[in-house]
Amino acid sequence: MELRTYAENTWCPGCGNFGILNGVKRAAEMLSEKGIGTERLMMSAGIGCHGKIFDYLRISGLYSIHGRSMATVEGMKFANPDLKVITFVGDGDAYGEGLAHVLFAAKRNADITVVVHDNKVYGLTTGQFTPTSTKGFKGGSTPEGSVEDPLNPLALLLEAGGTFVARTYSGKIPHVADTLVRAVEHEGFSLVEVLQPCVTYNDTYRLYNEKVKLLEETPDKLGEAIDTARIQDPLYIGVFYEVKKPVYHRELYGERNPAKDSLSREERVRRIRNLLSVR
Amino acid sequence: MKKNEVFTYLVGGRAGEGVKKAGTVAMSIFTRMGRASFEMDDYPSLIRGGHNFSVVSTAADTITSHYMEADLMVLHDERSYLEHQSHVKPTGVVVYNSDEVGEGARGIGIPMKSEAKKYPPNPELRMGVGSVTVLAAAIGMPVNQAEEIIKKEYPRDREKNADYARAIYELIPSEVLGKFHLEKGTHQSSALTGNQAAALGAYSAGLDMYFAYPMTPSTSILHFLAAHMSDLQVVAIHPENEIAVANMAVGAAFAGAKTMVGSSGGGLALMEETYSLAGMVEAPVVFVLSSRSGPSTGVPTYTDQGDLEFAVNQGHGEFPRIVVAPGSVEEAYYKAAELLLLVWRFQTPGTLVLDRHLSESSHTVNIDPEKAVWADFISHDSGEYRRYEVTETGISPLLFPPSSELIKWNSYEHDEFGITSDKAEKIVAMHDKRKKKLSKLHEYLKTIKTVNVYNPGHPVIMTYGSTTMSVLEALRAGDIDATVVQPVYLRPFPVWEFTGYDRAVVVEQSSTGQFATLLKEKAQVDSLVIAKYDGRPFDPQNLALAIKEAV
Repeated sequence: MELRTYAENTWCPGCGNFGILNGVKRAAEMLSEKGIGTERLMMSAGIGCHGKIFDYLRISGLYSIHGRSMATVEGMKFANPDLKVITFVGDGDAYGEGLAHVLFAAKRNADITVVVHDNKVYGLTTGQFTPTSTKGFKGGSTPEGSVEDPLNPLALLLEAGGTFVARTYSGKIPHVADTLVRAVEHEGFSLVEVLQPCVTYNDTYRLYNEKVKLLEETPDKLGEAIDTARIQDPLYIGVFYEVKKPVYHRELYGERNPAKDSLSREERVRRIRNLLSVR
Repeated sequence: MKKNEVFTYLVGGRAGEGVKKAGTVAMSIFTRMGRASFEMDDYPSLIRGGHNFSVVSTAADTITSHYMEADLMVLHDERSYLEHQSHVKPTGVVVYNSDEVGEGARGIGIPMKSEAKKYPPNPELRMGVGSVTVLAAAIGMPVNQAEEIIKKEYPRDREKNADYARAIYELIPSEVLGKFHLEKGTHQSSALTGNQAAALGAYSAGLDMYFAYPMTPSTSILHFLAAHMSDLQVVAIHPENEIAVANMAVGAAFAGAKTMVGSSGGGLALMEETYSLAGMVEAPVVFVLSSRSGPSTGVPTYTDQGDLEFAVNQGHGEFPRIVVAPGSVEEAYYKAAELLLLVWRFQTPGTLVLDRHLSESSHTVNIDPEKAVWADFISHDSGEYRRYEVTETGISPLLFPPSSELIKWNSYEHDEFGITSDKAEKIVAMHDKRKKKLSKLHEYLKTIKTVNVYNPGHPVIMTYGSTTMSVLEALRAGDIDATVVQPVYLRPFPVWEFTGYDRAVVVEQSSTGQFATLLKEKAQVDSLVIAKYDGRPFDPQNLALAIKEAV
């Protein structure tokens, strides 16, 4: 299965994004074996270092704008529910510019997968603090250190109604791949937060190698899942919560496929005539 | 009455008293008589109380505007009475609710409210039933026929409404019964608002999905399509905000659905970044901009054309934009269809410009669904797919998933496959490709009707959008011989249709004369501007006076 493109890779040597890219490739192969091939596996990406993954994968999709790619893939999914959609976003994308979109996608249980490359720094704009940066983070816009506390996105998204919430670490490629496969297979909103070191602006390899610990069992109660998401030491990786709930597009219009089942011109003319005649 | 003589019915009262519904029922009565009719609702931004009025003008043959001078007024409260009774025609009749309008009032008092209280619950809601009954009686309907109409139009609590109507009918003095004789017309039409017409027109051309966040005066498109999700098999989605709206629409277009979004100025401003995204990824999406009196929150339920410059300049960066401003409810239908076709054929965003007056006013229209265009597009046949293939026309064939081919739409500048590129020659190639689409779009527009010219050979009036309806009615009202030139396409501006015009009277609803500025810039037309910017559409009689003075 060829998942490479001819695009030149411009991530810094040692960038955590490589681990994610390799994990995604492995996941795509596994999904293909399970019958979800790249003909119907679609992607989008936000803007930032993470977004370059769009160019490096031979997977169809739309390279969106900053913060909006959750909405982009929701549009794809709602138009053609046969598609499986993943959006790759940064922490600035998902939790800064586009927080409303990710919360509402979770709230309505849109059947999409959101993969957050969480490096806790804006890399491509040269190292500013993000919604998940630790307090005191020194960057171009906060030379004296950030005065804000970080968000806890997993707890937030669990509270918002996320039906599959997981964390993984770019340093553990097989875990990235397994988690992605489960997320894509999950019918409903799935969020995979990937802990990702930025070797240039926020090198967290040593920290994560020390703190990351496998969550052996997925909590079955929401409250327990939220409590687990609040734990900062150890940093658990694994699935925090998974529950089956009706998905948005099916709740709204059942089994219809707006793109595929689009009515013919004649049928539309007939329906308009009906409608105008009863008015 | 003389042929095409106008009859105007006005009903005024508080929000929650069925004022708008009474106007709609009047429209439906006149429409069933085969008459041409026009309804304008005036309401403030509130849910209960305040002052609402609905005015319906009708003529046997042609009408394109309401008139503020009415033949028959039914006024529910003191405020409506004070506001309107002086605008009754000398031959007209004012009927007021004598429970609220005091001694010394001119006209005919009927205790509409105390009568309604005999039919609980919600006596206020029945006031509108009373107003329709007065109209039915005044145009000569016998009481049984009036009752039938009430039963049909007010099915909830049907029997009480019918009893109330009968009671009101019996209180109407005999000199009012049949005072107005309205000839039957020959129209086989239905009454639609501009928003409904735009929604149906886009649907007729292939619209699959509509995304919107509520914002007056665009909201009724969302309501209309949401209400018809089953019978039209269209999908209407109301997401968290306008930014989600626009981006979902682009994503849905990627998946092959024909999409449209809508809002007023503030909402379009939020969508603007995505408008450029659509330009760059070459996504076909129709954006409906229904203007209110602005700027900012402005006056949500009142009309204005002050968004013209904003409308023609949506989005940052260079890419083809198509901006269309229909000038009537009927034109909103056909042009929404045509714009959906154009955005699909040229794979670029387009804006359908409406305003409060066109969006929410109701007009009798005779629509032939067969006459609307179908939004077809150029699709990829076979072989290796390149999303941004450079072609003769600049238009790259479309292919939708699922597909074993690689389909990449990219907001970054890109190569033919849709892979990001910052190479000088790629940047130039893609700019040239988008420019070629623009020149093809120009060529195409030269083959279709982009400007309406009414009654050539006289002094020239130029106008556009909803104001066209006001101007055409003013010419009838004032018996004025003038040529009306109405560009329907505002971008690309059809300059080729403007040779031979060097001066004009310009009529627009804007305080700074944006349309006159556009005409000067694009077509070198000098103007004398008749402007109105108080949120109210023109009254044809007042406008006729202004035009006579100017011409």
